[in-house]
Amino acid sequence: MLIPFSTKNCFRLLCNLKVPAAGFKNIVKSGLILQSISNDVYQNLAVEDWIHDHMNLEGKPVLFLWRNSPSVVIGRHQNPWQECNLNLMREEGIKLARRRSGGGTVYHDMGNINLTFFTTKKKYDRMENLKLVVRALNSVQPQLDVQPTKRFDLLLDGQFKISGTASKIGRTTAYHHCTLLCGTDRTFLSSLLKSPYQGIRSNATASIPALVKNLLEKDPTLTCEVLMNAIAAEYAAYHQIDNHISLINPTDETLFPGINSKAKELKTWEWIYGKTPKFSINTSFNVLYEQSHLEIKVFIDIKNGRIEICNIEAPDHWLPMEICDKLNSSFIGSKFCPIETSMLINILHRTCPEDDEVHSKWNILCEKIKGIM
Amino acid sequence: MALRAAWRARAAACSLRAAWAPAVPCPPLPLGLRAGAARTLRTGPALLSVRKFTDKHEWITTENGIGTVGISNFAQEALGDVVYCSLPEVGTKLNKQDEFGALESVKAASELYSPLSGEVTEINEALAENPGLVNKSCYEDGKLLLEIQRIIAAVNVCRI
Repeated sequence: MLIPFSTKNCFRLLCNLKVPAAGFKNIVKSGLILQSISNDVYQNLAVEDWIHDHMNLEGKPVLFLWRNSPSVVIGRHQNPWQECNLNLMREEGIKLARRRSGGGTVYHDMGNINLTFFTTKKKYDRMENLKLVVRALNSVQPQLDVQPTKRFDLLLDGQFKISGTASKIGRTTAYHHCTLLCGTDRTFLSSLLKSPYQGIRSNATASIPALVKNLLEKDPTLTCEVLMNAIAAEYAAYHQIDNHISLINPTDETLFPGINSKAKELKTWEWIYGKTPKFSINTSFNVLYEQSHLEIKVFIDIKNGRIEICNIEAPDHWLPMEICDKLNSSFIGSKFCPIETSMLINILHRTCPEDDEVHSKWNILCEKIKGIM
Repeated sequence: MALRAAWRARAAACSLRAAWAPAVPCPPLPLGLRAGAARTLRTGPALLSVRKFTDKHEWITTENGIGTVGISNFAQEALGDVVYCSLPEVGTKLNKQDEFGALESVKAASELYSPLSGEVTEINEALAENPGLVNKSCYEDGKLLLEIQRIIAAVNVCRI
């Protein structure tokens, strides 16, 4: 049952940090079920960070329910260029977030439920959490065939992935979060999670594509609201706590001091793109110039999201090497980003008094390079 | 998860300081003997390379003023197959207990915490291409090699 109420007192009790209040010994079973009122992926990820960093979870596990407006979320050590179609995301206004847990790339929209199970490190048990979710699903629809796999996915009818898992383990606390597909736009999901970028060599952790299905397609009664309530009820029963979902506002600094700066950090280019493990691109593209086809070879090394080495090779008769090199050197140190590239080419035009033809060739190359960023 | 960090800690934690300061002054190297051979005759360096464990299953050894940090066999088994090692940049300054990186295994990112304060001067590059070394050899090849130079004033310890 959803009851919006002030959780401030509740939080203060549970947010005992390293200094336990004198006399605060809670021998009664306790725990919390929280649900975010926000659909902003960065704010919701910040809630996870905040709970992980500040809450004392000893004997007090927490379940956090959240949904996001359309976003793509990559794992901590992943490469967004490898994982999703960034060009399409920019056109459609889809947010990109990097979470702090491991695992692969997922697409969130309001048809997907996110569940985060917070525990102490000792009580961290992903399989237990997934079995709880399965019990909750079966309590709504006993005929539903859902099983957890060894890789902590949930499979419907033995073949369709309806949930993926990731987790983060800290000094004393841990969290396990997973998705649950109720009624997500599957067509959009497939196109967004398909990278068009060629020639990427990287050590980043790669996602494993899977066939997915929505629970609503199997049974129209399995809406997000129904499932969130069922999971909350199962969690409450398992931990012997009140079946009581507390709505929280992730921007409330009085409840979560410092949370807005956590959300801000998650939005920075340095976190989202800059944390990408070192990678290189070795590719080529064709340019049509005055009815002749030219092959342009591209070799770029990117570290911390910035170009370390840039080698754009055009046929010498089309663009002499020294002129091409001016373009290459201008890229060194800049972000691997189409906006920054546009700015760079403007600066290059102004500072390099080459002729119009050279400038137009530079523009052609830049448009192609932007297409792979 | 064998992460071996090499630390050069001039003013070590109390337990290390005791290990570092030998009871007798270091004997001079006999002429004609290689440093490696001479080292095995000393009691000082042997004390320095004793492996100490933290409660988070990290270990640290020091030898010739360089500390090495890794993760215990228990920890690497608990983690499972390591698929990615996130290590700090050379030049990073760390305080004791600062988070300095993470290991990823089966979709879980486990944080790594610095047992000492100092500046990173070297890391084990092999782990970038081969993170599984952490599982295969947590005390040797799979170590995270960090050299950490203490930033605080040097304490008068025996220099080898």
